[in-house]
Order: sequence, then structure tokens, then C-alpha cells
Amino acid sequence: MANKAKQSAKAAGIEMNKTRVKPGHVAAYIVLILISIVWLLPFVGIVLQSFRSFTLEYGGMVDYLLPKTFSLDSYTWLFSGESQFLKWYSNTVIIAFFVAIGQTCMVLMVSYALSRMRFKGRTLWMRICLVLGMFPGFLTMICLYFLLKQFGLTQAGAIPGLILVGVASSGMGYYVCKGFFDTIPKSLDEAARIDGASRARIFFTMIIPLSKPMIIYTALTAFMAPWNDYIFASYIAFGYSDSYNVAVALYRWVNTNDYQGYFTRFCAGGVLIAIPVTILFLCLQKYYVEGVTGGAVKG
Amino acid sequence: MKIVLQDLTKTFPARGKKNAGEVTAVDHFTFEIPDGELIGLLGPSGCGKSTTLNLISGLLKPTGGKIFFGGDDVTDLAPENRGVGLVFQNYALYPHLTVKKNITFPLENLKGDQKLTKAQMEEKALEAAKLVQIENLMDRKPGELSGGQQQRVAIARALVKMPRVLLLDEPLSNLDARLRLQTREEIRRIQRQTGITTVFVTHDQDEAMSICDRIVVMRDGHVQQIGRPQEVYDDPANLFVAKFLGTPPINVFQGKVSHSRIYIGDEAIMEIEGVDDQDLTVAVRPEGFVVQDNGPLTCRLDRLEVMGRDLSVISENPACEAAKVRSIIPAETVVDTRQQEVHFTIKPNKIFLFNKESGKRLPFTLVAGGRQPQMFSIKDDVDGSTKTAVSDEELREMVAASLRVGETAKPARSAGKKEDDNA
Repeated sequence: MANKAKQSAKAAGIEMNKTRVKPGHVAAYIVLILISIVWLLPFVGIVLQSFRSFTLEYGGMVDYLLPKTFSLDSYTWLFSGESQFLKWYSNTVIIAFFVAIGQTCMVLMVSYALSRMRFKGRTLWMRICLVLGMFPGFLTMICLYFLLKQFGLTQAGAIPGLILVGVASSGMGYYVCKGFFDTIPKSLDEAARIDGASRARIFFTMIIPLSKPMIIYTALTAFMAPWNDYIFASYIAFGYSDSYNVAVALYRWVNTNDYQGYFTRFCAGGVLIAIPVTILFLCLQKYYVEGVTGGAVKG
Repeated sequence: MKIVLQDLTKTFPARGKKNAGEVTAVDHFTFEIPDGELIGLLGPSGCGKSTTLNLISGLLKPTGGKIFFGGDDVTDLAPENRGVGLVFQNYALYPHLTVKKNITFPLENLKGDQKLTKAQMEEKALEAAKLVQIENLMDRKPGELSGGQQQRVAIARALVKMPRVLLLDEPLSNLDARLRLQTREEIRRIQRQTGITTVFVTHDQDEAMSICDRIVVMRDGHVQQIGRPQEVYDDPANLFVAKFLGTPPINVFQGKVSHSRIYIGDEAIMEIEGVDDQDLTVAVRPEGFVVQDNGPLTCRLDRLEVMGRDLSVISENPACEAAKVRSIIPAETVVDTRQQEVHFTIKPNKIFLFNKESGKRLPFTLVAGGRQPQMFSIKDDVDGSTKTAVSDEELREMVAASLRVGETAKPARSAGKKEDDNA
């Protein structure tokens, strides 16, 4: 068949190109495969080990990957009443959800104001935010703890506390969103103003419908941060196990408890945590990419 | 709605080292626009015409001066509350809304006692769409329309709320040539039909001359001249206005006035009074050349261009600032192309004298008692009284008279031919 194709191509006078496999290609593919293995191996390992039964086999760390018996013991144990996994999971979901909403609103409004309005100190403020943003967030740990303690938002009140920590000062992450708004032409705003629309109306009827990728990107990143958060959650909810989020809780199992027995359950918990975010990303990845690159051209 | 601009000034402040000085975009612009007229703001790029339009619409705040709509001082009023309709150069249609929603958007923002029901809004939108003839495109989005259709949607959107004044910012510059002609007639028709005071910004003098009731010529923020199109054409206040209007452009020569005669180069053209002896710039409209054997102006003949209705004689003259002298003469004229030189005489109402440094026009009177049309001042009258232009008989008399006068002074001129080709 290949010969026939070649013959007909010759008859038509077209030259057929053969892609020659060069040694460079082979080397590149080998490297890529190795890297992929290195990346994927931990995840594969965790998923596989989560299917290992902790009653029939050993629940801790072993030196082989594939479990000898596949069972869902670890998963069923998580959903039973023995652990507070469901409570922790719902804590995490609540915190992430409210932070996503709050942060999206704040970032959108701040970016719109910075993009469209001109006021005294605007450039100064933008530069300060940029510089401050370069310092790691947990420099504020101690100070935040004392502040929250004064309001009673630690330990028992850790969930509202964590939401507050996530939403407050989120406006400083305006950069990408502002860049995106800069690409929406100002003449649209001007036309709407001439047509009698107030600024708020322009924001809701003009800008928001045109910024779908950016909204999804902001919401996704805002959702992800508290979902994976360990540092703030661990010290704000310190000692009060009802307000842990999953990251803190799972780590405590492996660290303080007898990790020799809890490892498979840890893996099962990890898989359950990863599932929602994976699904979200898979569905929204088109918008996510648009959002990331949309603000990238103009700063 | 009468619009009054009083001493309107807009300066942009200096911005760091790059733009060291402050830029004056509009400088003390005073003008009264009568109700229901179509005014053209004409000028080259960067002359301040779009800035003036933005000042009138309220998108920019003036640094000095006032703006009045009717009797109301609107200088400090936000654009939302001024009741203007603005058609942008790039249309600025809302891309995510259908044409119908684009047109009803201004109506949705009306508040208080002006609020309309949905049915009323739809009705008004349909009326506006019929006015610009797009009623069959109501359900499309702007991205699905052609340029001309988008333009008309923009006009409908500006008109639907019956604004006090309609502002158009170079609305035809994004259209192809044929559509441009069609759309400017549409704009004229719509303006006549609705009677809304309209201000139209353009850099195309053809457009401005063809549809505007009055033209304001601007340059670098300063008003050069205000008047009806024919006035601005026949009676320019300075060299810039003379050069800006008219296609083909006016021919500019180095010349002088000496002993009461206009000289182009070294040749005496006509006898005049009222201008002191000096070096100056002489400009002649292309249609002001009359081919005549032994005429006072000698040019080296380059070629003839047949334009059907007219004949264009391209020639060269050392005193001319441009490479070629372009003149337009009636098609029936016989020009001997075997000759190296062609001689012209100049119609006195098509020749203008300008001060060499300032470019300001120096009016003169013809020696034989004819007169040039009186020059208009920049701070113009508004009651629209017209100063009469020169009639045909007077024109013929003037030319004949100046030629008769030259007869005794210079033997080069031929005996006065009364039946010149000055149709």
C-alpha cells in the first residue's frame, strides 16, 4: 500500500517526503519518557497503594508498589464514623468555596478600577503591591495569629478565620486580571458612558460578559490555594481537630500517629482530595489557558 | 439645540522627561453653533478636532472655558447626563449584544420620569433602525455585520434617545470609497430629517465641503477660519486654509508686489491696489488659469491630462513651490502641444496673496474698479448673512479691465479680448 501511494505520487509528479528518524529525536524521546516516569511515579504509587487493604495486608509503608490484594478497605474506613474525614473534607470545601467567591469579586473589582480609572497615587500603589507581593506570605504568620486570636477566629472559629485570611488582601493579586482588562478597548467604556450607563452598570453589563476566561481563571486559582493550604490552616486551627482541613489532618496521621498503620488510608485520602480539582481542571482547562495568556501580553 | 463654546481650552500637562512641555490641544476656541445645523470640524491629524469633540461630549474636562447646550452650562456635567449621541471612529459597538440590544442600551439607562417600558423601548429601537435602514439585521451580533452596517448601527444607537446634539468622530474613515459617498449622503439625509444639531469631525475636505452647513478649519488647536463651504473656499483667511481646501490643491508661487503689480517670479500678472510693495506668497486656484496667447504668466508645458469634463494642463514654473503647476481649463480649449511654453492669464478672484511669514491673507482691489470679495473675520457672525460673491458679469468686467490697463503699460499683453474663455 505504501508502494502504491509512492507510485501514484510519482505519477502526479509530487515528491513524497519521508521523515527520517534522526538520532536527536530518539534521544529527546528517551529523555522525555524518563522525565514522565519520574513525574508520574509518585502519583501512580499513591493510587496503587490506596487500594491496598490495611486489615489483610500491612497498612504502612512497604517496599513493593502493586498491592497483593485489591480492596477498598481504606476508602470505606475514611467514610465510616471512626475518623472525622468527612468533617475535614467539608471544612476544606467550604473554605475553598467562599474564598473563591470572595477573592474573585475583590480581584475583579480592584483590577477594573486600576485598569480604567486614573487617580492620584495609582502607579505608586501598583508598584508597592508588586514589591510587597514578592515577600512570602507566611512572614505574616505570627502577626496574623495574634490578630485572629483577638477576634476569636482561631481554633474553634478557624473556618471563618481561614476564609478571612484567604479573601483579605487578595486584591493585591490584580496583575493578570488588570492586564486582561487593559485589552478591552476603552472606547467601549466611553460608548457606554455616552449612553448613560453608570460605572457599576458598565462593569456588570459590559466587562463581566467579556471576561469569562479571566473570571474562571481567577476563581480556579482562588479555589486551589486554600484547598492545598497547609501552613495557615495548621497553626490557625492548631489543636482543635474539628476545624482541620484535609491537608493538616492527613499529615497528622502520618506524622504523629502510628504512620506505620495509616499510610494506605493517607493515600486514599489523598486520592479523594485530588479528584474534584482534577475534574474542575479538565473541564475548565480551555478557559484557564485563555485566562493565563490573556493578561500576559500587556502588563 | 444651540451649542455655544466659550473660550474653550484644553492643555495636557507635561509628562516627565519625554513630553517636556505641556501640549495645548485646543486653544481658546469660541464658536456658536446654531440649532439644527451640520457643522464640520476640518483639519489635518493632530489639530485638535477630535479633542474638541470629546470636550463637547464630556469625555474630557476642559482646562478653561465653558460649554453651553441651549441655555444650560454643561461644562461640569458628566457625559452620562449631557444627552449627547456620539458615533466613534471605530464604532465601539458592544460585541456581546445583538444589534437590537445595542440600540436599546441607551434607553435602558434612562432614569426617573424618562423610564420606558420594554415595549416602548423596542418601538423606539425599530424606529431608529428604520431611519438608518437596518431593520432586517436586528438579531445579528456586531461581529456578523459589514463595516457599513456596523456604521449604521452606531448611528442608530446614537440617535435612538433623540440627543440634544449628535457628534460624529470621523465616521467615514473606515469605509471604502463608494460606501463613503453613500454614507455621507445618508448622514445628511438623517440630519435633515431629524433636525438634530450635528458636529462632524473629518480630515477629508471633500466630505466637509459636500455636506456641511458650515466648516471650521483647525490647525494645531487654533481655529483658522469659520464659514460656509463656498466662503471658506473662495475667501481663505490664510495660506493654510487655501492649501487645505480644493482638489487639486492650490498652486503656490513665490512672488512679490512691486509698483502696484503682482509679480509671479519676474512676470507681472495684474495691476492691483491696497498692498504695499513686499515679497509674498501668491497662490492661484487651478481653475483660475486661462490659456491665452501672450498671457502674462509663462510656464513650460509638460503635458495635458484629459479628464473628460475638463482639461488639466500640467506645466512648470520656476517660481512655483511644487514641482508642477496644475491648472484646469474647459475641455474645448485648444492648446498647442507642439509649443514648449504655454501662456496663462489669471482670473482675479482665483488669485490670493499671503504674507510670506505669517501666511495671513492680504486682500487687494483691482485697479480698474473691480473688487475682490470681502474677507470674513474669524470671530464670525452667526445670523448667517451672506456676503455676496462676485457675479459672472462683474468677473468678466474685472478681467477685461485689468487687461485693458495692461495694454498700454506692457506691450507683451495682447489687445484685450473680451470674449475670453471664462465661461
